Amino acid sequence: MESLDALLEKAPTLVKGTSTLDELSEAEAELLGRRSVVAELQRGIGRLPPEERPAVGRAIQEARRTLGNLIETRRRRLETESERLMLASDRVDVSLAALEYQEGYTHLITSTIEEVCDIFIGLGYRVVGGPEAESGIYNFDALNTPPTHPSRLESDTLYLDWGDPADEILLRTHTSPMQARYMEKHDPPVYVVVPGKVFRADTPDATHSPVFHQIEGLAVDENLTFSDLRGTLAYFAREFFGSERRIRLLPNFFPFTEPSAEMHASCFSCEGGGQCRVCGGVGWIELLGCGMVDPNVFEWVGYDPSQVSGFAFGMGVERIAQVRHGVSPLRHFFDNDLRVLSQFR
Amino acid sequence: MRVSLNWLADYIDLEPSQPEEIAQVLESLGHEVEETERLAPDFGRVVTARVLEVEAHPRADRIRVCRVTTGGEPQTVVCGAWNFDAGATVAWALPGATLSGGTEIGRRSIRGVESNGMICSERELGLGEDAEGILVFDSGIPPGEDLAGFESLTDTVLDLSITPNRPDVMSYVGVARELAAYYRVDYRSPEPAFPLVDARPRIGITVDDPSGCYRFVSREVRGCQVSQSPFWMRTRLRASGQRPISNVVDITNYVLLELGQPIHAFDLEKLGGEGIVVRRAYPGERLTTLDGVVRDLTPSDLVVADRQRASALAGTMGGGASEVTASTTEVLIEAASWDPPTVLHMSKRHALRTEASARFERGVDPALPPVAAARAAELVSGLAGGEALAEVTDVVAREDRLRPVTIDFELREAERILGPGFDAPRVTDLLSRLHLGADGEDPIRVEVPTFRPDLTRPIDLVEELARLWGYNNFPERVPRGPGGGRSVSQRRTRTLRQALCGLGFSESVSLSFMRASEIEIWGWDEEDERALQIHLKNPLRDEESILRTTLLPGLLRVARYNHSHGLDEVAVFELGRVFLDRPHQVLPKVPDQPERVGLLATGRLGGSGLGVTRRPVDFYTVAAVWRALSHQMDLGGWRLEPVEAAGWHPARAARLLLDGRPVGIMGEVHPAVVRRAELSGRVIAMELDLDPLVADRRHWQFRAPSVFPPYTFDMAFEAPEDLAADDLLSATGEAAGDLLESARVFDEFRGEPLGRGRKSLAINYTLRAPDRTLSSEETGEALRSMAEAARAVGAQLRGEL
Repeated sequence: MESLDALLEKAPTLVKGTSTLDELSEAEAELLGRRSVVAELQRGIGRLPPEERPAVGRAIQEARRTLGNLIETRRRRLETESERLMLASDRVDVSLAALEYQEGYTHLITSTIEEVCDIFIGLGYRVVGGPEAESGIYNFDALNTPPTHPSRLESDTLYLDWGDPADEILLRTHTSPMQARYMEKHDPPVYVVVPGKVFRADTPDATHSPVFHQIEGLAVDENLTFSDLRGTLAYFAREFFGSERRIRLLPNFFPFTEPSAEMHASCFSCEGGGQCRVCGGVGWIELLGCGMVDPNVFEWVGYDPSQVSGFAFGMGVERIAQVRHGVSPLRHFFDNDLRVLSQFR
Repeated sequence: MRVSLNWLADYIDLEPSQPEEIAQVLESLGHEVEETERLAPDFGRVVTARVLEVEAHPRADRIRVCRVTTGGEPQTVVCGAWNFDAGATVAWALPGATLSGGTEIGRRSIRGVESNGMICSERELGLGEDAEGILVFDSGIPPGEDLAGFESLTDTVLDLSITPNRPDVMSYVGVARELAAYYRVDYRSPEPAFPLVDARPRIGITVDDPSGCYRFVSREVRGCQVSQSPFWMRTRLRASGQRPISNVVDITNYVLLELGQPIHAFDLEKLGGEGIVVRRAYPGERLTTLDGVVRDLTPSDLVVADRQRASALAGTMGGGASEVTASTTEVLIEAASWDPPTVLHMSKRHALRTEASARFERGVDPALPPVAAARAAELVSGLAGGEALAEVTDVVAREDRLRPVTIDFELREAERILGPGFDAPRVTDLLSRLHLGADGEDPIRVEVPTFRPDLTRPIDLVEELARLWGYNNFPERVPRGPGGGRSVSQRRTRTLRQALCGLGFSESVSLSFMRASEIEIWGWDEEDERALQIHLKNPLRDEESILRTTLLPGLLRVARYNHSHGLDEVAVFELGRVFLDRPHQVLPKVPDQPERVGLLATGRLGGSGLGVTRRPVDFYTVAAVWRALSHQMDLGGWRLEPVEAAGWHPARAARLLLDGRPVGIMGEVHPAVVRRAELSGRVIAMELDLDPLVADRRHWQFRAPSVFPPYTFDMAFEAPEDLAADDLLSATGEAAGDLLESARVFDEFRGEPLGRGRKSLAINYTLRAPDRTLSSEETGEALRSMAEAARAVGAQLRGEL
């Protein structure tokens, strides 16, 4: 038994002195192997008197457990260390872009339309679309635009060589025809936004394109006033350009609204004055045209203008995107240069 | 319309008259100020001087020697201009003066005569374009005054953009009237007073076309002397953007700007015969207008003619033959009211937009012609020394146009559109300030003067109330709609777009046109749906002359654009309408214009990186894109079948059938198309109808994953080359029945030892039951029936089961 005590005494030094798993295996063989003191004592147990056997047996088991724990603890320590060394040699350059996924980008026109629609959806509007090849009836007549109006001239509007000439089939010059088309098919209340392509007889240059995009808004209900128009546009300006925005309305003229206005938002980039890229130092940015729906439009679609009122607005998608992100000239929206597309978010 | 604030002060007293404030007020009233320009002399040490003597230069023929004085000792100045004589008041740049643009003037000898400074032209002082002669002042201006101190030269000019509904504001008096309404002050309008002579007018007036001419006023002035107009008038006209010409012509422009009534002056002696007639032009008639252009007229043109020929395009431009020139002495002043659409038509047809037509096409107050003619006669007699005849010819062809409109205005109208607060006192106050008659409580009887042709309905008055009250003085309120948001197909379109972006495709937006050369590249024939082209009636360029019948030319254009900028790997898609020459199914009056989704890719696709081998795009790429889309969009029940179509690779293109209906084509673009588009390598593309992809679908149903072990195995089949892998998969899949969890082709092989026209397909299957571990009897039975099903479609199992 003295030998067992001696063994237990020297074992910790022996085990903790190992520095590799191999050395630990050697130590394990020495302490618990077939030639170890413990094994010898075990083998000699049969030669002891029967009454001593249980006590010796317990002592041997105790010693085995102690030694086993000692070795296991050391083994885990050595394994952890060895893995640490192995992982350390597997170091990467974290700054290296060794792999890139191919990303695709949503066009700025689309993401702008989606964002504006989301803002109005939050106010309870419905998103609707409509034909791009339209008739003069919806593009002009329904919208209180007389046959002699200059906007109907071939210098402004693109006409199609199609259909009955009396129908004046054309490429819609604004998203407003959907005002008439929607009201014709639905009873009030009407709260809709209409995003889409529109067309003008313009050759492409820095600020013109024969195709661009608009978002029309129309609200018709029982008690809508000029204040509702103001409030709605101010809400939009704050949501789209930032919570600090204020708006101003300046009187303007459109055939299908009265009163008509042009909406400006306070510049988000400066305090007014100086050389601002966005507003030119004016402090205000012209954003869109709007107004109260003209009674003639209501009459055309069969609404009673003495019972309902409403407002409408139309904004240029490229325009508001351009104001916010500085994309210029206009052709960058339509060239689809991947170096430009990959900037869009 | 350029408004000089110096000139404007003739008609309204503004205190305090800060230009910025006036600009803001005008904007708040709806008259956009496009530019605010400050005018100030940029010369120094230039004074007015009297010319005492003018003598020939002893050694030069073209220049003269002048003695000039500012009141003190006369000095010698050499001058090359000849448009003045002794007694004239001129602008003298003293030695040490600086001229416009920075030229410094000294004392120098000119061919032996010492010149003390110089006598200046308008151009040298930056006052105008005139460099023909020197600037000669009106006789009333004393010598010795510093020119830089002339008040009329320091001015602010507001460039106003007047909306088409407000012709009444296109004049100084009109602008003053608007400001008067805002500031609650009075404005002044000229009240012509001048000596008259009693004599019968020589020219009679006949209006043959009352539809085009509402009123025609003519006044004759005799014994005029055409010369330069006075300095003050030239300065005002220049500030307002008009080039001074001669006193009589300048007066017509002056009255036009002052009152808004265009005036025309004829040289009375050049009018043939004793009468003027307003009539439609004869077919084949010609007129040389003041700008020297010979114009071919048609009966849609309205002309002012003498007995022999047309002498002016009504309300647009005068003719050269009856033009007022330096030798004119007898002047006929025309002030008329023309039908706006007629003038608009003529100015568009002749591409001739003048100050006159810009006003007439919007509508000039028919009450103005007599006033304007009198004002012009007053100025001509005062400035050109003429005698105005007392008798005025005033032909009113349309009496109805002269009657003011009355509108019964219910206060309810104002409240309904503008909200509370617009009661009788406020409304009456606002209307009166706008110079409208307002009588009664509710309804208010409103009398609209003839200068406001835009006010005919109660709603027009509502706008006026809002405008003068101030658009920005209304409170803000945000109404809420009943909801609705995006429709199912709009939401699914968004999913489709996001899926395509996720697969590495970028969205492009192209113009909706194609051109003839692009159609040739694709080479489709008459029978093709893509040949159902719609042409523009009035295209501006070849590029935008035909509406696109397919998205692919636009996408190819994008690839081409990027290639030419050194970007060889292009993966783009577009969502948009194409236009087909057939009626829309729901809206038969407009053409069919279905929405499509198209995509196109060149080069390689997918993630890239160190040691990553990327596959060049080919048919299998586009098919994989479609399969991914079909998963993202939850589209089952589709199938691809080989197709041969113009512009597509004859052996590498497929038609997509969704629920048995064709929805489009995908595959490789024909190499010839690729070559013609100056691209290289394989180009893949897809174009599908959007509606069937985004239509409302049945909802997918959950299947609980089985907890029992799978039975996974491979089968290799030998089959004819034209057996579609899909057919083999569905035949064997059907045979496996409910047990089939997945089946995937992992190898396709052609060549030896298989015979010609044969191929081998290796498929990995997984069978699994939801409620039990499959027994060897069950799997054996499944394999046998799968092999049998394969045989039925022509595929032999290779090797033993």
